[in-house]
Amino acid sequence: MLNAIRTATVAGVIATALAAGSASTTAGAAELRVGFSADALTLDPANHRNRETETIIRNMYDGVLTRDSNMQVVPELAESYQQIDATTFEFKIRKGVTFHDGSPMTAQDIKYTFDRLTQENAMGGQTSPRKGLLGPLASVDIVDPDTVRFTLAEPWPILPAMLPFQEVVSKAFVEKVGSEGLATQVNGTGPFKLVEWRKGDSVIMERFDGYYGGATDIPPVGKACVDRVIFKIIPESASRVAALLAGDVDIINELPAHSMNQVASNANTQVKTVRGTRTYFVALNTTRPPFDNPKVRKAANHALNKQLIIDKILSGTATPLNGVLSPDAFGFKADLPTYEYDVAKAKALLAEAGHPDGIDVTLDVDGPFKDTAEAIASVLSKAGIRTRVEVGESSLLVKKWRQDPEKTGDMWFTSWGNGSLDPADIVEPTLQTGGRGNSAGYANARVDELLKSASTELDRDKRIALYHEAQTIVNDEAPWIFLWLPQEIYGVSKRLSGWQPSADSRINLHDACVK
Amino acid sequence: MARSLRLFAANRLAAGCALLVLAFVLMAIFSPWVAPHDPAETDLFRRLQPPAWKEGGEWAYLLGCDALGRDILSRIIYGARVSIFIGFMVILVATTAGILAGLAAGYLRGWVDVVISRLVDILLGFPYLIFAIALMAMMGPGLQNIILALAYKEWVIPCRVVRGETLAAREVEYVEAARALGAGRGRIMLREILPNILSPVIVVATIRMANVIILEASLSFLGLGVQPPTASWGQMVADGRAFMLEAWWVSTFPGLAILALVLAINVASQGLRDAFDPKFHD
Amino acid sequence: MRLGKLLERLAQLIPVLLGVSVIVFFMITLTPGDPVQIMLGDQQVTPEQEATLRRDMGLDLPVHERFVKFLGNAATGEFGLSFFHRRPVADVIVERLPATIELTLVSLILAVVVAIPLGVLAAVKKSTIFDKAATVTSLLGVSMPGFWFGILLLLLFAVNLQLLPVSGRVDFDYQVQPITHLLLIDTLLHGRPDAFVNVLSHIIMPALTLGLPMAAILMRVTRASMLEVLTLDYVRFAEAKGLSRGRILFRHALKNALIPTVTVAALETGTLLGGNMIVETVFGWPGLGRLVVESIFVRNYPLVQTAVLLYAITYVVLNFIADLLYTVLNPRVKL
Repeated sequence: MLNAIRTATVAGVIATALAAGSASTTAGAAELRVGFSADALTLDPANHRNRETETIIRNMYDGVLTRDSNMQVVPELAESYQQIDATTFEFKIRKGVTFHDGSPMTAQDIKYTFDRLTQENAMGGQTSPRKGLLGPLASVDIVDPDTVRFTLAEPWPILPAMLPFQEVVSKAFVEKVGSEGLATQVNGTGPFKLVEWRKGDSVIMERFDGYYGGATDIPPVGKACVDRVIFKIIPESASRVAALLAGDVDIINELPAHSMNQVASNANTQVKTVRGTRTYFVALNTTRPPFDNPKVRKAANHALNKQLIIDKILSGTATPLNGVLSPDAFGFKADLPTYEYDVAKAKALLAEAGHPDGIDVTLDVDGPFKDTAEAIASVLSKAGIRTRVEVGESSLLVKKWRQDPEKTGDMWFTSWGNGSLDPADIVEPTLQTGGRGNSAGYANARVDELLKSASTELDRDKRIALYHEAQTIVNDEAPWIFLWLPQEIYGVSKRLSGWQPSADSRINLHDACVK
Repeated sequence: MARSLRLFAANRLAAGCALLVLAFVLMAIFSPWVAPHDPAETDLFRRLQPPAWKEGGEWAYLLGCDALGRDILSRIIYGARVSIFIGFMVILVATTAGILAGLAAGYLRGWVDVVISRLVDILLGFPYLIFAIALMAMMGPGLQNIILALAYKEWVIPCRVVRGETLAAREVEYVEAARALGAGRGRIMLREILPNILSPVIVVATIRMANVIILEASLSFLGLGVQPPTASWGQMVADGRAFMLEAWWVSTFPGLAILALVLAINVASQGLRDAFDPKFHD
Repeated sequence: MRLGKLLERLAQLIPVLLGVSVIVFFMITLTPGDPVQIMLGDQQVTPEQEATLRRDMGLDLPVHERFVKFLGNAATGEFGLSFFHRRPVADVIVERLPATIELTLVSLILAVVVAIPLGVLAAVKKSTIFDKAATVTSLLGVSMPGFWFGILLLLLFAVNLQLLPVSGRVDFDYQVQPITHLLLIDTLLHGRPDAFVNVLSHIIMPALTLGLPMAAILMRVTRASMLEVLTLDYVRFAEAKGLSRGRILFRHALKNALIPTVTVAALETGTLLGGNMIVETVFGWPGLGRLVVESIFVRNYPLVQTAVLLYAITYVVLNFIADLLYTVLNPRVKL
């Protein structure tokens, strides 16, 4: 309707008498539009390492497992699964699943999908960049037509938590179109099939009427509700909000916290939030003064009025943390001590550490988080930790803090995503000695030992106990200023129903309806 | 020269704009005395406070506050330093380099001309912003690097102008005369040719300075601005654009400041051009 | 035009393109930051996995070998895979090119249509209030940061008045089979005036944002060259002969005055092409500029190198076109 008005107005403005008749080829069809921050890089589910790409693809491809809105792992293309021993999992395959071209999905397809992901040079001479997401997965074998067995080279309890990130492709189709073809064509098992990919502009999908219904643990089961789905790429956040307010789109992702009021007070739109999975922290360089001294690190934690910044800069949309893990994560320790905001204590600790006059330090941050870092700096400075913010490009900061052999910075405002909600995926890389994301340069032999045991421990309770002890040590030694876990914020139109945001930032449109 | 200046002064619009530019420069120099607040003083309780005349505003913060509760007016006053400094320095560096390279190419000819002209052609083949962005990525952020990133490409513009003018001037009688009197090449270029080709160079420099201020704003928009807590006007506009829907003042006022300064420079330089270019004297 | 001259022109292309290739290769290769690390993001990986990825990107070779390979490949039109799309760079660029070309052309037309009449009038009415008003108005165009102006337009026409769409090239209801990939032309070829208007409503704000600074430049050039031409003998002679003012202006003066305008327009088109990443970001325009800037930030070497080469070629070709137009408008100039 709005478009009709708009078209008519423009026609009037430019005095084009030709502008008669409506062109809507799909009048009456239910169409859902998502204003999305980035385009897919490719439509090949095995050939990217990009969250936005996965969000788009995941509406056309299903996985062996998926997650419900509470982030519980549930079977999707599998009917059920069980762990046979430390290194073996078995998956029963759901019957009656077909690809978009009508061919049935079989155990062959699942084996092919994972071979393509894990074997060297399996993708037209190249190796899937997603191989690393499958850890020590050694082989996938067909036990019988309804069962596949996943064999691991070493124990890896988080396999089920990692499987929702992989989507199943059709063996016959990939062999026909090749990896080049799969980059732009889709033949999945998901609720929507590809209509057209207008690169850089939009991805258009329509309902797949042969859909098997999706995970039985996530009602409603059945075909998708809407006829068409369009991911419309709008990178600039103000433009995305504007598109929602103007009724151009029904869902927008990455709604800036400061625009929430705007969306909430509009008659036709509302805000939806969900706790995310990305932990934000300030890494303190523990390898050199002043932050090699735990007292100074503790002082920094006491000096920061975390709640003030959450309330003012993030409009209250974040959960404060005392450690690494999200409250939703496996093994989260809820009773870690809190570093209360206490300027006097911070100053006392600084004095004890030999800095009665305070310290002068820098805080590295990449552009999008400049505001937050400046706010943190101004609060820290009031407690004697005089902080200068240095904005750098994220590629440079990753090099400076994760790759350079000698760490030269003082503090880095950064984050680490934990989509699997398993500690192995965040505590190990960020806090184990020499871990890829250990930007604080933190090294504690006991923590290393605990993490190593936990990574292969099969007993749930023992594994939790190991992670609890590690969290306690880390909280006490404070290699970071522990910050927060922000919510994922979405703006949605009120004509939308049946859709809830999910913590892993997927936008699953299977159950979404529009009036 | 004097006649040109008289002509320029007679162009009231251009002269007025020149005065406006002067006012901006004075504001930049004396910003600590002019600004009502410390531009770096944050107060999260004033986050996105509206301008004084709007509900929720107060007269002490005339143009409102930014995302960290800093006074926008004070930041604009201080920001003039950064924007004008960048504009001025880029043009100074680029024009100096351009004059030297252009004189050398135009007067010495031969292989010097070939090398310089090829370099100019190659640099012109790069889109300006992409070149600057890539250089910034390479050199890292910071005021000095912004100036360099822009100057590395900017110098070709005065260079081309100077080369062309020099080619013409080198055959003029007084240059011939100086050469006959045994003057050195450096002396001829700097003492004889340069003063006579200076006016088009100045005109181009003023126009380009306006352009450089806009370019710097574009770099800020792409996240390659100066380091906090100082901010150029372009940086302020870029930072404020996220709040455009709910707090238009954060981005709009610095944008207007850029508009006013750049427009004033442009109108003044148009006046300069008309005054200095003999073709337009009736 | 003589063939020899054409060949000479083509020969001049080579050192420029070679120079651009060398500079862009070393500039981006020497920029700190590792595409492998950037791609891996937040994930624990084994050194073997990292090495495989590095090999797949061709970054396991030493820099000099990479350079030789790059030059050899570029000469044969083979530009490799984009690191992050993992598809041929040429494909990724070609997908984005039509949007950029269309926006550039519309901006150019808009600029010319505004600039030439205003420039002529300002010259004819030199020193009047009209001249001053036209000058100041046109200077407004070059005096605003594009993104600021773009956002203001967006707020006014898309959010407040809701007259124009916020972003994109065309609404999804309009399925147009691509012929030229330029939607304004395709919609007309298909006889779909409704779709044409829809495309127009999308392109108008970005084209205005991009075209206005150029209009200002062209107007100034037109005004200046028109002033110059008006003082020339043959115009004075025509006046003396008693030809009508309009006829003199448009038949005689304008044709000559347009020469510098055309030259500048052709050169500025290069600037438009390389300068629209900002407009593309604000209006969600699916063009090349935004892609190139993003690629610089994530160190997508093959894409940046190829795109910059493409820009350089365009620049050289535009220069050539400028010269050609020069001869057409003024037959006395021989190439």
